[in-house]
Amino acid sequence: MRRLPDVPPRGRAITVDLEGESLPAIEGEPVACSLVAAGEPLLARSIKYHRPRGPYCFAGACSHCLMRVDGVPNVYACRTPARDGMKLERQNAYPSAKVDIFESIDWFFPKGMDHHEMFAGVPVAEQVMAKVARQLAGLGLLPREPAPDVAPARTVRTRVAVVGGGAAGTAAARVLAERGVDFLLMERDAWLGGRLAHGAPEAGAPAIEDADRFPEGSVLTRATALGLYDDAEGRFLAVGVWEGEQPRLLKVYAERFLLTPGGHPPTLPFENNDLPGVYAGRAASLLLRRYDVAPESAALVGWGAELHALANLLHERGVKVVAVVDLRDAPPAGAHATAVRGDAPKAHGLREVSAFSFTREGGGREKVACDAVLVSVPVSPSFELARQGGAKVPFDEARGLFVVEADANGRTHAADVFAAGDVTGGGTAKDAAAAGRRAAEALVGGLS
Amino acid sequence: MSKAMICSCEDVTVDDIRHAVSRGFCDVESVKRYTGFGTGICQGKSCTAAVAALLAKEKALKPAAVVPFTPRQPLYPTELRMMASAPVDESQPPVGGLPQEVDHFPAALRPEGPVPAKAKVVIIGGGIMGLALAYNLARAGETDVVVLERGYLCAGASGRNGGGVRMQWGTPSLVELAKRSIDLMKGFARELGINVWLRQGGYIFLAKTKPVAQRLERNVSLHNRFGVPTRLITPDEARGIVPGLTMKDCLIASYNPEDGVIFPWPFLWGYAQGCQKRGVRVETYTDVTGFETSGGQVRKVKTTRGDIACDTVVLAAGAWSPQVANLVNVKLPNEPHRHEILSTEPLKPFLGPLVSVLDSGLYFSQSMRGEIVGGMGDAKEPAGLNMGSTLRFVSRFAQALMEQLPQVGHVKVLRQWAGCYDVTPDNNPILGRTPGLDNLLQMSGFVGHGFMMAPAVAERMAKWMATGESDELFTRFNLRRYSDAAGHSREFGAGTLEREDMVIG
Repeated sequence: MRRLPDVPPRGRAITVDLEGESLPAIEGEPVACSLVAAGEPLLARSIKYHRPRGPYCFAGACSHCLMRVDGVPNVYACRTPARDGMKLERQNAYPSAKVDIFESIDWFFPKGMDHHEMFAGVPVAEQVMAKVARQLAGLGLLPREPAPDVAPARTVRTRVAVVGGGAAGTAAARVLAERGVDFLLMERDAWLGGRLAHGAPEAGAPAIEDADRFPEGSVLTRATALGLYDDAEGRFLAVGVWEGEQPRLLKVYAERFLLTPGGHPPTLPFENNDLPGVYAGRAASLLLRRYDVAPESAALVGWGAELHALANLLHERGVKVVAVVDLRDAPPAGAHATAVRGDAPKAHGLREVSAFSFTREGGGREKVACDAVLVSVPVSPSFELARQGGAKVPFDEARGLFVVEADANGRTHAADVFAAGDVTGGGTAKDAAAAGRRAAEALVGGLS
Repeated sequence: MSKAMICSCEDVTVDDIRHAVSRGFCDVESVKRYTGFGTGICQGKSCTAAVAALLAKEKALKPAAVVPFTPRQPLYPTELRMMASAPVDESQPPVGGLPQEVDHFPAALRPEGPVPAKAKVVIIGGGIMGLALAYNLARAGETDVVVLERGYLCAGASGRNGGGVRMQWGTPSLVELAKRSIDLMKGFARELGINVWLRQGGYIFLAKTKPVAQRLERNVSLHNRFGVPTRLITPDEARGIVPGLTMKDCLIASYNPEDGVIFPWPFLWGYAQGCQKRGVRVETYTDVTGFETSGGQVRKVKTTRGDIACDTVVLAAGAWSPQVANLVNVKLPNEPHRHEILSTEPLKPFLGPLVSVLDSGLYFSQSMRGEIVGGMGDAKEPAGLNMGSTLRFVSRFAQALMEQLPQVGHVKVLRQWAGCYDVTPDNNPILGRTPGLDNLLQMSGFVGHGFMMAPAVAERMAKWMATGESDELFTRFNLRRYSDAAGHSREFGAGTLEREDMVIG
């Protein structure tokens, strides 16, 4: 990864401290973005085999980028804004993440290890293993100092809690605003739009809503729904929000919960899919669109419209696209010149990606040099809140995903839970916006 | 080295999932527990669908049976100091806890085909009690046994506890049973071929009030009498064992270095595999729906997969026992009481013993994987089979833990869940024959500490059942103690035994 040349910087140039080494960064961008742009994709070692890891999802939905940040262990570097002088340390490695002697575990157990049965009942070996395992287990060290207290949690009451400010959530919020219904929209990112703002571009997609155009106080960005609970006063969302630089816990009670959280970038199991330099497709489009950071050369693998749109986006922005491997379908018209249908993807490289190989349909094995492998598959619906709220979450075999079951108006199995957009199984951003509007209209009708 | 990761948080590969299926773990909840996928920092966000797709593709599960594991709060790792910031009104009882899958499993998960039409022994409950008993019976030669479990293995309290095992009890029977259990746990891997990760880091009980301090003092001589090396320690000594412990408001502590923690799940898998190797049937996702009785005997157990004619029935359903007993008009005095618990991000080893503040019901330890695992009893918890989670619990716990261990403020909670204690009026178990139904045997009422008693209790119970030799355990803890001579129930709370007062929470 590198910063695109000839692009004006998006913020103040600062430096961060990576284990004593000073690296350039742009203030406020995710510090993992700064690190990969500075040529440091190796941020961690994995928990069991000490495999090298670098950021993958840029969505706080995996664990590849966990670092010790200013003395706090296991911080998502992909969600932490870069600050001047911040101290970053890689975890779970000895003597260092670049040369980690425990990497030998990965080589000693090429077929994996069965910790349930390994040395079970073998005298002495069993005790030794237990002692060694205890020392090797865990990620990161307990902080040395007590943490400062956070301000007391705040209680918020609203008629409709909208979770997720993407196409579906903002379209729903627009309807609620027009009807004069009190609502609170919560968005994890610092901006609205979801995939409209950081996915691959999509023909016919609606424009991104501006947070300022909603009624004052009805939109909270940098607000993460932590779970649905209930107590004597009813059902509420626990929400973690940043108020300036301070975290705060909110209890958001609502009569209706309109869930439009989209999906998580899923993992796609293939050999070395965890190597630094393998990124989720949405991570690549985020880095490119919001931070002007991109690989020099990339191989893309996955399926669906977003895969091909991403390849074209990268190509337009000067990235050398060396392969686009569609695992399910023949490439559509307008796909990148290298696009083929293929199978058996594999990433290559010792500590970071240096090449990618696959089997071309009807052809042989092909291997291409590249510095990134981008995995673009449809997002995996973020069904967690809906399920906590009592919605049904069947498995969609054709798509290989769990989806929230909702009717055309977003009604789920739970009377106060509505769902729209990617969380119900995907489609275009335009479809998601339309579903969001229908759900908002349907739930307004049911409010007394 | 080339590996295809399916859950990169826990380094679980595609082959690991296939291995779990080959061992008979096919539903998503069981595969999660056996392989550890989805138990890491991301809690399954990136991998659950991929695992489900693999299970569906390889026909390990029918499509309707592919259901995700229960998504726990918090959905993203959340610092304990954040959780501690929610106000808690201790004067009010806890309210809430959204319904969980454990309340009602999908019928699609039920195995096809009927249960055996007859068996000598039917054990109701596939938790550690039932499975350990079945295993011990099989080892004694009685293999015509069927174990009925309403969910997956580990669905009940055996899969929901914090893994603490201790000999520090207040009554002789429990000290003796716990001591024997820990001995059996040491040999478990050798006997059953699966690691249970016993780590004897000790238990430290803290006393904040005089009565509790006196209780700890009194216990020392009892424990020493059984060869348990418990000793009283000063706050300074406790801080020496657990660096950073504040001992705020604590008068004294008791410490037994031979207590410890285990990983609960492999006990169930190990016993179940040991049973199945010997021909015992372990039937998961199978509900008991009723009984057929005549002449003061249970004749048949009715299930969602057919009836089983049998000679003996053992009720080992933990917190569900009163509900099952009701089906045959037996009134048990046990009540289920929710206990909530949580687990944090894994950290490098820093905490040797399990620490418990007996006054408040707080306890915490560090698991083999490095997570802080802990809970806190709530004296105002109403009775009921509620396994939902509350924000109140996680806030109370965070406040109480940070009081004793302030450096944990930045440590992040990964998930919280709940299980039910199976509470009896005198905090003692119910074991042995049922008055009026001679072949219905009780094995319940362990008040949240059944897991650590099970290996020893099951050993004694199997011997008693197989040989008919008398054993005072099954008279002392008989259900009869709650009735007077005429068979009328005593007032609730009465009983004839000394109350066990070393229950946490």
